[in-house]
Amino acid sequence: MATPTVDPITLSVVRGVLETTQREMTLALEKTARSSVFNLAHDYSTALFNHTPEMILQGQDIPIHLGSLIPAMKAVAGFFEGDINEGDLILHNDPDYAGSHIIDTCMYYPVFYQGELVFWTVCKGHLTDIGGPVPAGYNPEAKEIFAEGLRIPPVKIWDKGKPRHDVLNMLLTNMRARRDQEGDFNALIGACQVGARNLVALMDKYGKDTVQDCIEVLLSMANKHMDKLISQVPDGTYTGTAVLEDAGHGFGDFDITATVTIKGETCHIEIASPPQIPYFINSYEGNSYSGVYLGLMMFAQLPPPYNEGLYRNVTVNMGPKGTLCNAKSPAPHMNCTTTPMETLTDAVRLAFEQAAPDKVSASWGHANGCNIAGWDDRHDEEYVTMVLASVISGAGATATQDGWHVRGPLCCFGALTSGDIEMLEHSYPIIIHRYSMIEDSGGAGKFRGGSGACWEVEPLDKPMTLVTFGEGRRIPAMGAAGAESKLIEKKVGRLEITRNGKTEVITDNVIETINPGERAANINPGGGGFGPAFERSPAHVVEDVRNGLVSIEAARIEYGVVFADAESLQIDEAETARLRASA
Amino acid sequence: MQTKYRLGIDAGGTFTDVVLADATGQVRIFKALSTPSDPTQAIRNGLALIEEETGITPQEIVSNTDLCINGTTVGLNALITHNGARTGLIASSGHEDSIEIRLGHKEDGYRYDPDYPPATMLVPRYLRRGVSERVLSDGTVRTALDEEQVREACRHFIREKVESVAISFVWSVLHPEHEMRAAEIVREMMPDVHLTIGAQLYPQVREYTRTSTAIVNAYLAPILQRYVSAVDAYFASLGAKNPVRYFQSNGGLARGEIVTDQSVYAINSGPASAPQAALNVAEPWGEKNLITVDMGGTSFDITLTKDGQANVSKNIDFLRYRIGIPMIQVETLGAGGGSIGWIDEMGLLQMGPQSAGSEPGPACYGQGGENPTTTDANLTLGYLNGDGLVGGRLPLDVAKARDAIKAKLADPLGISVEKAAYGMFTIVNNNMVNGIRRVSVERGYDPRDFVLMGAGGATGSHITALAREIGIKKVLISKLASGLCAYGQIISDVKYNYMAPAPVRLEGADAAAKLDDLFNGLEARGVSDLEADDFTRDRISIRRSLDMRYVGQVHECTVEVDPFQITEESLEKLKAAFHARHKELYTYDEPASAIEVVNVESTICGHVEKPAQMRIPAGQGSDKALKGTRPMVFDASGATVETNVYEGAKLGAGDVLHGPAVIEEVTTTLVIEPGWTADLHESGVYVVTYDPERDTRTAKPAKELAEA
Repeated sequence: MATPTVDPITLSVVRGVLETTQREMTLALEKTARSSVFNLAHDYSTALFNHTPEMILQGQDIPIHLGSLIPAMKAVAGFFEGDINEGDLILHNDPDYAGSHIIDTCMYYPVFYQGELVFWTVCKGHLTDIGGPVPAGYNPEAKEIFAEGLRIPPVKIWDKGKPRHDVLNMLLTNMRARRDQEGDFNALIGACQVGARNLVALMDKYGKDTVQDCIEVLLSMANKHMDKLISQVPDGTYTGTAVLEDAGHGFGDFDITATVTIKGETCHIEIASPPQIPYFINSYEGNSYSGVYLGLMMFAQLPPPYNEGLYRNVTVNMGPKGTLCNAKSPAPHMNCTTTPMETLTDAVRLAFEQAAPDKVSASWGHANGCNIAGWDDRHDEEYVTMVLASVISGAGATATQDGWHVRGPLCCFGALTSGDIEMLEHSYPIIIHRYSMIEDSGGAGKFRGGSGACWEVEPLDKPMTLVTFGEGRRIPAMGAAGAESKLIEKKVGRLEITRNGKTEVITDNVIETINPGERAANINPGGGGFGPAFERSPAHVVEDVRNGLVSIEAARIEYGVVFADAESLQIDEAETARLRASA
Repeated sequence: MQTKYRLGIDAGGTFTDVVLADATGQVRIFKALSTPSDPTQAIRNGLALIEEETGITPQEIVSNTDLCINGTTVGLNALITHNGARTGLIASSGHEDSIEIRLGHKEDGYRYDPDYPPATMLVPRYLRRGVSERVLSDGTVRTALDEEQVREACRHFIREKVESVAISFVWSVLHPEHEMRAAEIVREMMPDVHLTIGAQLYPQVREYTRTSTAIVNAYLAPILQRYVSAVDAYFASLGAKNPVRYFQSNGGLARGEIVTDQSVYAINSGPASAPQAALNVAEPWGEKNLITVDMGGTSFDITLTKDGQANVSKNIDFLRYRIGIPMIQVETLGAGGGSIGWIDEMGLLQMGPQSAGSEPGPACYGQGGENPTTTDANLTLGYLNGDGLVGGRLPLDVAKARDAIKAKLADPLGISVEKAAYGMFTIVNNNMVNGIRRVSVERGYDPRDFVLMGAGGATGSHITALAREIGIKKVLISKLASGLCAYGQIISDVKYNYMAPAPVRLEGADAAAKLDDLFNGLEARGVSDLEADDFTRDRISIRRSLDMRYVGQVHECTVEVDPFQITEESLEKLKAAFHARHKELYTYDEPASAIEVVNVESTICGHVEKPAQMRIPAGQGSDKALKGTRPMVFDASGATVETNVYEGAKLGAGDVLHGPAVIEEVTTTLVIEPGWTADLHESGVYVVTYDPERDTRTAKPAKELAEA
């Protein structure tokens, strides 16, 4: 399409209004939702599409939703092609229509102006339940997607403005905690409508054609921006392979490979992964887009706003159907937004690192967390929750600075918020003994990876069940630009259970029960470093040692910095020079 | 007002505004340059300026003044530049890092930015010491305090030359004894350090917020202490009869020792007086729903009052530090007269947040600035007088403004200079409108139900355009607009916040009794503190707030109520207030769901007698004030219209004029767009209203985006 000519001032204003619209949709969603996964995990997205439908603005929210709405919107609009009417509202979660995992539910609201379909406002959010045999959806026993919950292909819940109570009732009847799910449906619907109202007001003010022209220009500008970034990379084919750990399922480790071919301003990404397995870590194509786009974003490092123009010259092939990253029904998939997505992201990131070695940041620690469940004597009720603090790993270092401490996991990139210690102890019968950074957990490098975190819990009154998930317990977060860690065991995740003074270290996904007086410490990985660790300035190493982030032993082994005096942290210059020269 | 004068001094980033009210109702504003390196110097300079212009000596003013009021940015500046005191933290063992983990969140907008740094730690990790002790969520002691570990922490701090110590333990709000005992030990071992105790400063549930608030307080306290003693001593030397009052970010005044102990309250005090000032200015019209916009050189501050109560924020990130204490909600944007226009990587025109500041300043200042700014745009559009700002003391160079706009914006975008200038004006206005939506739409209010109040030196040029964009039909802007915040401070009351944790479900007689006791206890303390400060009971008022939520929700919403006895029956009133506020904010309520309270707070005000309102003489008709015309641009076409220019000093009460027009006051310029009518009231306030029939522009601004 030829790019229209628009007044540059109107263009800036339209762009501002689109961003405000997206922000207000996000706030409406976050404030009205009941689910703490919405509220604290920021596990939702809002997006605007044009009539094509091409994404014209993506909320900056969370990477695990970065890509999947783009194919999902197209699949949903395609399903109802010729039957999309003013006042319709479509709901969907199924990965066969490019949904991510079925607990993420999407609403699509077509916005009409003077009788014509002009926009779509779209929201997606992680519900607390989607039916199926296991509360909250994560069923490690599932051999098929049918054992994970309710699949919802595109379905109209409003038809020409009329709510379809029969359909809604059928859906909600299949879910636990019906009122919460209903509340979250309302939150998603409300956010779509906030967006629609703003867009109609925008067209009233500037006219539909002008607004559409501005949007076309914005898409084209994003396209040119990404083209420029890609064309700065030498033409060629770059490959990255990342290893997905066997976290106890018994099928062994898997390689995921990304091959990135750059030619001029075009970029083609090819994914190769092993055949799908009967365990819930398969990723359907829609979800895999998020992993690929996050890897791309770790190269592009763009500020918001994001639209589909960025990807006009980026093509992706997820590999043959029936593979881990391009799964087909009935593959179980619930864990896919973390595993294998983070390994897929690593593979793409690594391929781009070959292409742009000075630019691409190190990887972040993978999600390695736990859910807790038990009985609350205080209110005589059952409790179950995902412990967000247990997945917040260290961030990767960049070409300019150390990784942020405790900011992950990779698939969330800092978007999460762990709850306040006191509010968690108020809500659940637990005592949190520790939520802290860990010495030597950040990947070694000229710029150090961010620290991982330790979250240690003890149940009060009654036993507690812990369900652990994820990986990153054997392979540390990938460094960049030659960064390498030597003390691996301190940089990976694990679960430590202490009973009667004896501590057991667990590195598989397990279900464990602990009693009052016993403790479980979930330790998650640090981020990767950037650049050779022996190039780190000794002054920074001293600062890290002073702050308890690097041990004296690690300073010597990983950074080649030797201390003459452990108390004053006086450096032994000669020994440091000798050690660093010998490397 | 029994005495001859009341004096207010508001130290801002660029200017220190001095406002002098006298018993006759005259209010005068003087502007001196701020002196960040020695903040008391600006006060001396301001008083010297008054003497120079009026002949009244500092001694005469200060010794005949009932109240000397000081709003200071000393704390703010220390936080911005990270020049606070060397601070140590004593925390519960295992939780020393909450302040650095910051709930694991990275601020939105920087998700993929490899260069955005983590917030600077006010207390580095090696100055954070965990000690063995633990209280549970029901207030019982799980582990006793290990006093030897506290002593060891002190010895470490002494070695490290720590100047200020914060103590913050988990659940200390329900069992403060451990913190108090640790404090005794610190006082004994480190008698000279400043000490901040978490549960005393901010007795509310939420460990991260409390610890962070305590640390910010500890970090600033020694700085405020030095400042307050210098100011107090200076005023005492001038013969002050009363203690100097300091303005706080909760919108009220406090004595110096309180600002020293609770320095976190002084952090963003400047713009916090705007709601009070706005209510005072709007009093003749009985308007209590006001949005106040204050545009200065580098920033644009927005505040809101609904039904006469200012929006209050709690538990927010301020300059990237979590602060719990209630502060007047101030939405600050990098949109001022000095905001720079630039073209971003995508090729789009943007305004700010970078500012040309006062050095080199806008291109038209002729001090070497090459970047086009808002002021350059306003000058090019004809709104500002080339003869200069601040009564001609600062001449403006139109050619330089046009050159900068042409080179940096108009040529690259392929449009005329006038179009580019109007574009800059439009975009800066749109940025401000988006900010206004954040204090209104996002707090559950429709901005069209409000009156827009102008404040600050640069607002006048934008005020009718802003009102038009939002869909507001009535604007009030005082002749004192450029010093409105300083004026707000001298009419403010003494105000303290008293807080308590109250994690209870709102059910049954026990819960009612507990809440009633808590509030009564807080208020008894508050009243006795104010009585000790010579306020009689009839001049003390109380307002309560409760942070409440539906059981199972993650976020609370704050509900404000007037005091009443809380019984099992009257709990219904609290519930009703919560449902109503929830609906207002989030579009729905759940009348059948259980509600819980988390924290409670009482605001205690000691009312200060207000100075008489300003009165100006009757006008002779606006024609008498007409000083000429200038070509000006009022729409995106860039076409110019010959427009009347009026001299504000010659306009009197009852004078009316129609837009398009410009009114030049000494410290500000008002642009009255086509369609708007300005009517000068006897209190020195322009009432500017919109009548679409009078709007001659072809491209009429259509429906407002405030629709949502």
